Amino acid sequence: MKFAIAVHSSPYASAANHRALRFCASVLRKGHEISRVFFYHHGVYTALTTQVPPQDEANTLTAWQTLAVEHNIELSVCIANALKRGVLSETERARYERSATTLADHFELVGLGQLIDAIIGSDRYIEFPA
Amino acid sequence: MNKLLFTVSRPPYAGSAVMEQIEAALVAAVFDLEVSLLFRDDGVWALQRDQDGTLLGHRSVHKALSGLGAYDIQKIYVCEAALAARGIDRSDLCIAARTLSLSEQQTLIASQDAVIGAQT
Repeated sequence: MKFAIAVHSSPYASAANHRALRFCASVLRKGHEISRVFFYHHGVYTALTTQVPPQDEANTLTAWQTLAVEHNIELSVCIANALKRGVLSETERARYERSATTLADHFELVGLGQLIDAIIGSDRYIEFPA
Repeated sequence: MNKLLFTVSRPPYAGSAVMEQIEAALVAAVFDLEVSLLFRDDGVWALQRDQDGTLLGHRSVHKALSGLGAYDIQKIYVCEAALAARGIDRSDLCIAARTLSLSEQQTLIASQDAVIGAQT
């Protein structure tokens, strides 16, 4: 079965982001497929490359990146939500003349169309609210 | 999947979630899908006429709602109980929305391929 996932929560605001990670890992372990993970609303903070969590806490960013690389999953970040919160790819940094690129590796800034595209191309759509 | 229901249950100016939910519905409509919108809980405040979000530094939800027709989104529903609980009359609404009882909402949700914003 093919899953589309949306994450609305920022990494350390609630358990939702971590739960989404664990859900994705379980889905893959059971032999299902994930078409795309879409980070929306505060979820875009997941892709912030400058976060430094304490060593005795789970590193959400690294966990998502590992999942994406190991299972070839697209990590798509809503571009409008990302720009608003300062999560910038190199292209957007240059366009808006800001001082730093803050989008982590393996994440991509995309339009909302990619969320709808993932939903309609999947068997199940699962959302992790803030 | 081609039947998508977008639910709005947050108040319109307590963040940008409502506006973004409406934007997602508009994008889905561009994909030529069967798009429905359901306003429930505090989300029904988004339909109240004569509001001006700019006073709070927000875009007015009104304007986005008035664009729904242009995207051919005709299936707009509102929770009857949520309106009643807040003393909102149908004549107070800024767009035409069909009121649904809780059991009618269950039927609506069950008939969809996916529900977006179910818990938000």
